[in-house]
Amino acid sequence: MNSIIEVKHLKKNYGDKEVLKDINAEIEKGKVITVIGPSGSGKSTFLRCLNLLEKPTSGQVLFEGTELTDLKSDDLDKLRQKMGMVFQNFNLFPNMNVLENIKLAPMKVKGMADGEATALAHKLLKKVGLDEFADHTPTSLSGGQQQRVAIARALAMKPEVMLFDEPTSALDPEMVGEVLKTIQDLATSGMTMVIVTHEMGFARKVSDEVWFMADGYLQEKGSPDEVFDHPTSDRAKDFLAKILEA
Amino acid sequence: MKKLIKIFSVLLLLVSAVVTGALATGPAATVSAASSKNVKKVASGTVLKKIKKSGKLVVGLSADYPPLEFTKNVNGKNKYVGVDIELSKQIAKDLGVKCEIKNMDFDSLLVALETGKIDVIISGMTPTAERKKSIDFSKIYYAEKNDYFVINKADKGKYKKTSDFKGKTVGAQTGSLQYTVMKKHGLPGMKVKGLAKISSLLMGLKSGKFDGVLLGELNAKTYAMNDSNLALVKSTLKQDQMGNAVGVAKGQKDLVAAINKTIDKCQDKDLFNKKFIPAAAKDMKTATKKSNNSMTKYTSYFVTGLEYTMIITICSVLIGLVLGVIFALMRLSSNKLLHAIAVCYIEFLRGTPEMVQIMFVYFGIGMLVKNLPALVAGIIAIGLNSGAYVAEDIRSGINSVNIGQTEATRSLGLSQAMTYRYVIFPQAFKNIWPALGNEFITLTKDSSLVSTIGVGELMYQTGLVQTATYRGVMPLFITMCIYFVLTFLLTRLLNFLERKMNLSSSRA
Repeated sequence: MNSIIEVKHLKKNYGDKEVLKDINAEIEKGKVITVIGPSGSGKSTFLRCLNLLEKPTSGQVLFEGTELTDLKSDDLDKLRQKMGMVFQNFNLFPNMNVLENIKLAPMKVKGMADGEATALAHKLLKKVGLDEFADHTPTSLSGGQQQRVAIARALAMKPEVMLFDEPTSALDPEMVGEVLKTIQDLATSGMTMVIVTHEMGFARKVSDEVWFMADGYLQEKGSPDEVFDHPTSDRAKDFLAKILEA
Repeated sequence: MKKLIKIFSVLLLLVSAVVTGALATGPAATVSAASSKNVKKVASGTVLKKIKKSGKLVVGLSADYPPLEFTKNVNGKNKYVGVDIELSKQIAKDLGVKCEIKNMDFDSLLVALETGKIDVIISGMTPTAERKKSIDFSKIYYAEKNDYFVINKADKGKYKKTSDFKGKTVGAQTGSLQYTVMKKHGLPGMKVKGLAKISSLLMGLKSGKFDGVLLGELNAKTYAMNDSNLALVKSTLKQDQMGNAVGVAKGQKDLVAAINKTIDKCQDKDLFNKKFIPAAAKDMKTATKKSNNSMTKYTSYFVTGLEYTMIITICSVLIGLVLGVIFALMRLSSNKLLHAIAVCYIEFLRGTPEMVQIMFVYFGIGMLVKNLPALVAGIIAIGLNSGAYVAEDIRSGINSVNIGQTEATRSLGLSQAMTYRYVIFPQAFKNIWPALGNEFITLTKDSSLVSTIGVGELMYQTGLVQTATYRGVMPLFITMCIYFVLTFLLTRLLNFLERKMNLSSSRA
């Protein structure tokens, strides 16, 4: 069995509103999956159900065969370590500097020694090209830089999967590139990734699979070429036509 | 959430322990009080021997009733003075012993006498049938024959007899005989206003809020003697004054006889009117002399008051902080029961007056826990009240931290407790701090409310100084300044700490 995450009949309601209606999907190890679709189609909710930041209304999420929805909070915390997440709004901790942001989880969760954590943090900062900002406060960095720190912070837990929730949506256009480059480098290194994005060009370039989501369903799954060039569902055709017009 | 449940169960245990403890000590205290009546009771005819043997007469009194018994400031030290003290000295002198004064709450005098802690009670005590059940009394040594309306001297032409007060506003001390007399036998249309303190009544008189103030003879005469702006009109309202007697433990015939002898002697010589009352008046008057009512002489009062105010403030702040954190977490908890308890607590304490809470704790819990000191009751009440406000400050501070911070932390695998500790609290604290600062300052000022249950804090001491100096406004002004300096310094300190924390976070 090669799939690292399996989703079965996932449903999520907010009150009366059905956001996710019946999602079934598998994520294979080492694959890069981008989730595209119109705003409000449930992409982010879907992603957040994968590490249970949102509790599914029904259905199953399995990580390496373990059912997440049944887990006690301690065990869930352990599994979350294996799933790094990057948010639209970075969510760096403003009460810590860049280095401390990265060191927090390895030290507190894994009990890593300070020296080791510092070395790890510097290594990751170098990887995202920001080592010189180690002792800056997050708020003194640009959006793009903050997002790269957030990626480094997630990587510090050595996750098996990285989840990206619209990582470039809150950025000024000139900063989108640097973040996408960082993500692309990560993809090349063989990391399993699920990326919710509106950057179609990027999705096409980086993905092994593209999932098109609309109205609470995964309408279409396939290679970038299949989904972008030969969409089968009307919903996808419609969406892509609008994107290309713009 | 598990931890919260643990915390809560510990709390429940504590509460039930306190309650059962209180219930247990309630009857136990009664038993011990009863046993003190039966077992420790002073044996017949032993007190006089004990007095002679020890060479001193221990007089119990409650020194808060000028001119009968009150305190005078002599070079910054308290001295007990007044009519009853003069009588005590006379009795001691006739017995050939020294006189020692023990000042305590009026309510505690009976028990103290029964348990032999004091030899006699000379504290303006009326020999009621109720009291006679547990102790004996001497003959009446002084009975106030009349009540007097105290008026402004300027109104002397206007008020000459009791009937002149028809339809007028007259003040009296709440709960006093005079108050009862007016309520029962007052003139038609007479408006009776009660205030707790004579000094406040007289301030009201001078500022025109009352047309007259009805006082007992002694009080009226001493105040009139000390203040040239006041005049007296004898009241002809019906009154049923019983007079004051010396209280003695049961079965001490020899001592009672000795005391009665002294009383007879004093009355024969008319010492009360000729010597004791003038002496008391003089002691009160020394306070009103320009040189003696200077506020610097009463520094020790204000210092004591300030000490108590700070003790109350600091203790209540600590209680408030602990309760505040607990109830904030309970309110934020996903456990519905904990949440409901916290909401009820917070809403109830914020929705009822603090003054009522203080009195409720003092008198209400005082029924369960005997000998609950007013200071402790006050601290508990203010602490409980503060807890509700602090809980809301903390809750809103925590809620002000972006939800994204929690999500980011949890996604890294940190537990909820860790999330709060390393990410939420440090950020929330900066929002909580200014609100907490406000709460501390409010609490400092609110501590003045416990003066109502007789805690000797700043406001209470101000009352004492007002009574002692006959000056109403000056002590208030000084107290106001002290409070202001206190809260101003506190504000500076809080701001300083706030800046320091902001600096450290922006540097980090």
